[in-house]
Amino acid sequence: MAMTAVARETVFALRRQIAKIEGTLPERLAAPAGTRPDARADTDASGIAPERTPEITILRRGVAVASPDAFLRTGVERLDTALSGGLPKAALSEIHGLETRDAGAVAGFALSLTSLILRQEPHLPVLWIGTSEIFREAGFPYARGLHGLFGIEPEQLLFSEAPKLVDALWIAEEAARMTALAAVILEIRGCPQRLDLTATRRLHARAQNAGRPVLLLRQAGEAEPTAAPVRLIVSAAPSASRDTIAGPLAGSIGRPAFTVSIGKSRTALPGQFTLEWNPNEHAFEERTENPVAVVPASGRRTHPAPASGAVLAFPTVGSFAAGDQPSRPQRPAHISPRRAG
Amino acid sequence: MISHRDRNAQRISALDERAEVLRLKRGMGIADARAMHPSIDIVEADPEADRRLLEGLADWCDRYTPLVALDGADGLFLDVTGCTHLFGGERTMLDEILTRFFHQGFDVRAGLAATPGAAWAAARFCGDRIVAGGEEEALLAPLPLAALRIEPEIRASLESVGLRTAGAVMAAPRAPLARRFGATLLLRLDQALGRLDEAVSPRLPVAPLSVERHLSEPIMLTADIERLVSLLARALKSDLERRGEGARMLALLLFRVDGAVSRIAVGTSRPLREPVLIQKLFHERLAALEQDIDAGYGFDLVRLSVLSAAAFDMQQADLAGEAEDSDADIALFADRIRARLGEAAVLRPVVVESHLPERAVTTVPFSEAPQRRAPPRQRNTPPATVFPPERPIRLFRSPEPIEVPATEMPEGPPMNFRWRRALYRVARAEGPERIAPEWWRRQPGEEEAPTRDYFRIEDSDGRRYWLYRQGLYGASEVPPRWFMHGVFA
Repeated sequence: MAMTAVARETVFALRRQIAKIEGTLPERLAAPAGTRPDARADTDASGIAPERTPEITILRRGVAVASPDAFLRTGVERLDTALSGGLPKAALSEIHGLETRDAGAVAGFALSLTSLILRQEPHLPVLWIGTSEIFREAGFPYARGLHGLFGIEPEQLLFSEAPKLVDALWIAEEAARMTALAAVILEIRGCPQRLDLTATRRLHARAQNAGRPVLLLRQAGEAEPTAAPVRLIVSAAPSASRDTIAGPLAGSIGRPAFTVSIGKSRTALPGQFTLEWNPNEHAFEERTENPVAVVPASGRRTHPAPASGAVLAFPTVGSFAAGDQPSRPQRPAHISPRRAG
Repeated sequence: MISHRDRNAQRISALDERAEVLRLKRGMGIADARAMHPSIDIVEADPEADRRLLEGLADWCDRYTPLVALDGADGLFLDVTGCTHLFGGERTMLDEILTRFFHQGFDVRAGLAATPGAAWAAARFCGDRIVAGGEEEALLAPLPLAALRIEPEIRASLESVGLRTAGAVMAAPRAPLARRFGATLLLRLDQALGRLDEAVSPRLPVAPLSVERHLSEPIMLTADIERLVSLLARALKSDLERRGEGARMLALLLFRVDGAVSRIAVGTSRPLREPVLIQKLFHERLAALEQDIDAGYGFDLVRLSVLSAAAFDMQQADLAGEAEDSDADIALFADRIRARLGEAAVLRPVVVESHLPERAVTTVPFSEAPQRRAPPRQRNTPPATVFPPERPIRLFRSPEPIEVPATEMPEGPPMNFRWRRALYRVARAEGPERIAPEWWRRQPGEEEAPTRDYFRIEDSDGRRYWLYRQGLYGASEVPPRWFMHGVFA
């Protein structure tokens, strides 16, 4: 018995090494659920019942072998599991906004991530590169607002305004290889020819070498082939009302909220999340309910507020190893078996 | 032939040899000259262009000495003290200068003397003469009074009393001369004879350190220039080390074969002496200037000078050989960006005490920003307000006017608005936050700026904006206007 266990360990270690070298090879480890706690909720993201059989093949692609601190955890359980651990830290990540007027939300989401990064690297500066066009169209970053909302000190901020996209890309490439920057934000508008697969691959490779995140904000950009492992699409979500001692204040505008959907990820299937940024604790919270009807409780909570209405008992499809909640946006997929049963 | 306007008459100011053969002279009226020779070709003088040409020549003369000064409209002073041996002695140097100017198409007179005054006289009245120290008197004595660099009025009055040569003036008693003709005459005389020191003030600040390389074969390629820069920077490093300094500002001078000089300057955020880093900076600068530098037939002299230097604080590297100095990395990175894209390419925000949002933060170029303080974590000062006013994360450079058709209340937020030709429906609004103009900054004659009432607005899609109304309803004839000023997260 002991012999087989040791042999299995060795085989796992070798496979792991092979997968690490190959990087993107689908990892088809027939490991039992107990030995691999991080493999638990991948089925959750797939959601749709008919695609359940090939689930392991789709979902385990090289990421399982990476160490957990290679990811930036957003702090929202469901998003982290969907991204199998969080946003890759040493990589290029794309954050898209559908229209230029979403620039505030996109920048806000990117800065929230930056704020999370700065928690681990508190003294390093952040460089924000933008073309003149985007700074003119969407506004220049305002240091006072950034400090108030995300706790980024003005001394930590560096801005670089490039007259042309070529220059912005050049600055970004130079900056991406620096370990002295906590994060690099590159903001551009639209889908320029210049920023093709090759350009993103160069950025991604440099980010990987330096081990620092590069956030590529594309305002009013279409989904294009990219070397970035993760693409998130961000838009603004109506905020909840302000919390007061006497309850939510009607008509007030509370914390910033974002609707984040995963546009591309090696590990996750498309999903949508509504996140709320807590400017006091500098942390994300997920909002699972209608913002107007239910007000999220303050502080860190592990259980979402109970939904209104009666809870009906019916068996969940598939097995959730860690007992996670099924994701809300995918409810419709679950409804059909529910009615059938 | 070149004419200029002098006291309401067109006169000849310069003329070529063929015109001289026709017995035309400088100062002659154009009308007279035309009457003599109707076919002459006359060009209007352009003092500005002459000046530019002279400055170009002065730049070129930088190759002989860093101390080059302009003298009037048609002369150059070169202080070659200590430089002559580099070019094989005084005679060889003077010959080389004359030959090179001749090849460039200039007719040049030159003189070399121990004092600027004597050299001036030698160049203008003797031509190609080297005056040894102590011979100034012998040189000046037979020359006319004009050789003394004095005003025409003084010259005229001296001539009227029969003093026609410099020698005669020297022989005359000094006291009456000074009383009658002023101190300038004796000053000029003493300066020419070396009794008084005369400083030639150089046109450009003299670099404290420079290294150069003369090339027998001119170079044209940018890659070659870069290689030379790293060679020169290596030579510069030992000099900087000896002085305990690092360069804050570097200039690369490229002397083209045909006389044009390109000057490329690079600034650094912190003192620098490492050749590799200097080469990197110039690499970016040259890449940015690729189109502007015309190599022509090549550069035959390349000089790297330190325009300003600052104390270089040595840092002990740790045992691994690499000091953990992220600030230095960032400074170098910023320098490279600045070298390629200009001074304002890397900006750093600086918080200003002001309640006007657009004044409350300014951005300054990285090099001018105050050095980053130690981690600003420890907070001793209490928060100014319990609830600091919420500020947007992006601010438009100039507030953009929006159309507000209606508000529910006269002083209240809009119900909908049109911005950039799109209609937005206001779902929720917070405000107003009234921000008055800073009256203490108002200039005396200036009109008072209207107050602004800021509103936080959330539109029907959940986007949050910062709008303001400028002015109050009913306060003046002009109805208030609305502006979009920022965007919230």
